[in-house]
Amino acid sequence: MSLPVGHYQYDRIDRDFLQARIAEFEGQVQRRLDGTLSEDEFKPLRLMNGLYLQLHAYMLRVAIPYGILDSRQLRRLGEIARRYDRDYGHFTTRQNIQFNWIRLEDTPAILRELAEVDMHAIQTSGNCIRNVTADEYAGAAADELVDPRVHAEILRQWSTLHPEFTFLPRKFKIAISGSPNDRVAARFHDIGILARPGEDGAPVFRIFVGGGLGRTPIIGEELFDSVREEHLLATLEAIVRVYNAHGRRDNIYKARIKILVQAIGVEAYREAVEAELAQMNLERYRLTPEAVAAIRSRFAVPLLEAPADADAVLAEQRRADPIFDRWVRSNTHVHRDPGHIIATISLKPAGGIPGDATSAQIGRLADLADAYSFGEIRITHLQNVVLGHVRKDRLRDLWLGLAEVGLAEANIGLIGDIVACPGLDYCALANARSIPIAQKLGARFADTALQAEIGALRINISGCINACGHHHAGHIGLLGVDKRGEEFFQLTVGGRAENGAAIGTILGAALPEDETVDAIARLVDCYLGRREGGETFLDTLTRLGHEPFREAAYETV
Amino acid sequence: MKRPVRLEPGQKLVLTANRLLDGRTVWWGADGTWDLHIGRASLLDAEDADAVLARVVAEAQRDGVVGVYDTAVQAAVPPEPVTVREKIRAHGPTVHPEFAVETDQ
Amino acid sequence: MKLFELGERTAQVHDVLVTVTELADRDDARAVLLESADDPALVKPYLNRLELVVLRFPIFRDGRGFTQARELREYLRFSGEIRAEGHILPDQAAFLRRCGVDSVVLPKNGNGDPALWEKQLRQFPVAYQRSVLPERSVGPGLRVEEAS
Ligand code: HEM
Ligand code: SF4
Repeated sequence: MSLPVGHYQYDRIDRDFLQARIAEFEGQVQRRLDGTLSEDEFKPLRLMNGLYLQLHAYMLRVAIPYGILDSRQLRRLGEIARRYDRDYGHFTTRQNIQFNWIRLEDTPAILRELAEVDMHAIQTSGNCIRNVTADEYAGAAADELVDPRVHAEILRQWSTLHPEFTFLPRKFKIAISGSPNDRVAARFHDIGILARPGEDGAPVFRIFVGGGLGRTPIIGEELFDSVREEHLLATLEAIVRVYNAHGRRDNIYKARIKILVQAIGVEAYREAVEAELAQMNLERYRLTPEAVAAIRSRFAVPLLEAPADADAVLAEQRRADPIFDRWVRSNTHVHRDPGHIIATISLKPAGGIPGDATSAQIGRLADLADAYSFGEIRITHLQNVVLGHVRKDRLRDLWLGLAEVGLAEANIGLIGDIVACPGLDYCALANARSIPIAQKLGARFADTALQAEIGALRINISGCINACGHHHAGHIGLLGVDKRGEEFFQLTVGGRAENGAAIGTILGAALPEDETVDAIARLVDCYLGRREGGETFLDTLTRLGHEPFREAAYETV
Repeated sequence: MKRPVRLEPGQKLVLTANRLLDGRTVWWGADGTWDLHIGRASLLDAEDADAVLARVVAEAQRDGVVGVYDTAVQAAVPPEPVTVREKIRAHGPTVHPEFAVETDQ
Repeated sequence: MKLFELGERTAQVHDVLVTVTELADRDDARAVLLESADDPALVKPYLNRLELVVLRFPIFRDGRGFTQARELREYLRFSGEIRAEGHILPDQAAFLRRCGVDSVVLPKNGNGDPALWEKQLRQFPVAYQRSVLPERSVGPGLRVEEAS
């Protein structure tokens, strides 16, 4: 079989490892059923394998390492949705997929079906190093300096069943990017890594530590500017070792690494890491060029060939069809090859559930990936899907194929591209429902011409302070709160996850659910009425400050 | 340990949990069965609830349920939970009416 | 107390087991008990007489013991026995072993079944990262297996 484009190719040993993990999990389920394991003991063990207990059923979170799948894997996810769930799956901001109606007793069978296509649910939850995320345009974007996927795979392997770091104080999330335009929210992760080329050809890594959202949103601080490739694993071991030994374990709300970094300061943290490194046998932890090359050799590189007139064909098609042109403008990104383009497929139909896809859509996406993008699919941290290498002269055919299954929404980066967590419709921790308000907002701003007119504006919705919907990082953020059993939403403005990461500012008292959509519409009107030149929402907000927006939001009619 | 339960007039308590095997939301009936339908739940007075809860928790492993707790309902037929969260547990996700518990057999 | 051996070193029973703070006054002590908050570096002055370090897990989710064991092996080059006790699960057997723990005090409930511990030690044929044990590469990349 030929190598998959975009992700690591397993061999027999990797597959045996997955089978061993399934056998282990099956044994754990058995011991839970016979009472040898209490629920308190079983829960962390099942979480480490991605299995949550939610309001209505178990939820299984399947890992999509660095967000990349091949069509055979995606097809299998669709089949699992059909057979074991209720015919749909939910793509998450951490580039995974969740199934909401899973039975504990079916889980080993599901894991076996996943393993047949080299997939698993390892470390998609639990207080361990979670699925590593990476730039959704990796290996394709024109602005990329280093393709982060080889190192993302190295981190995936290194963190898998790490003997020392499987019972950390709290979850631990790592993201890696190789582009100067941060598309992974590196500074909102426990560890964020930005790769760039080094002098000797091997990459060097800038490492941020202690970022995160949740109850205490904090922007990560730079720990090291230039870690050499050979010391990447040693450095990560040292960072996590300090955290494992000193992170708080008495209060889960203060257990993340960000709290430790804040408590002792980034300089002290750096000194502690350096003290570990000084005692470690660095030779033992060395990431050798041979190991990197061996892993790189398991990734196929797409053969990018396009006719010389591909660009011209696309330009002509755009001129001829303004609706297609609008989709191209919002839903594509520049590829490093002039004959190709990156297409982002929106999972945010107006009035739909952000990030949900039906089995039929999932199957269709797999077919389109085969036809147009070397069978490779990427899941984005904004709950959309990317086909990374589409020939420009074939883009319109792809778009027509997407339209057939309702996936041609032209709203990427626009107000309709809403990020929302599952909220109280599914989540046991929620205070309010996130999805219905996302659906109402989506319907309110359904008109694609209006969305294009409004321009870049990101809405993020979380159903509680855990911030799975990244509300702090939304240009407009909504946080669900519970006031005496009723759903309310707190509004923030000015957050951003991109370069210049910022945490949104709270506008004022939380609004009742039924007033929230109108308040947001007034915020948008305020911006449209007062913007100058080509200003985006964030530009206008920066120029005018929050006050006019606060007034607009709370204006009572 | 337990917060004192304060019920409004017309309210009672019911016991709820999730089934261990499939995770589904279930409601406790006085005959010792756990049912998907809140309509079959036994209504408890605040003063009795603690003792019943303790007994039911002790039998959770045998009954194949996890996370037993009590929650307030309006004592109608069928009883209707007081909080949004428990309404959603009783009836299913509001965004998928086709999965509503009543129609789901 | 039932002991289970994870590795090569034979588990030894010591009548005197002291805390780190008691160590200085007890010249006869050959075994010390570390709580999960204790810094393993505290035992450094006593390394040449210590034969056993016991790591106590207050709850299996408290993973500090894994780092303590590694620090004892990798930084302090402790070559005596390391033992884990307290709330530990058989599911942790290989992790403990790979961090340098030689033996465990078996829990008194169903988690203390030696067959479960035995099975867990043999569960995974390879690992994806180096541990304190002697290992050889099963390439490509990071994979290793124990060198016997
Ligand atoms: C439905 C079940 C879910 C549960 C029970 C859950 C639970 C949590 C909790 C407790 C936190 C806070 C952790 C902390 O700050 O220490 C959190 C954060 C987070 N979750 Fe979820 N979550 C769920 C679903 C999701 C989904 C669907 C996504 C993606 C859309 C997601 C992505 C995240 C992210 C990115 C964070 C961010 C903040 C951070 O780690 O700093 N989670 N989640
Ligand atoms: S933000 Fe809260 S409500 Fe939303 S998924 Fe996370 S824990 Fe659940």
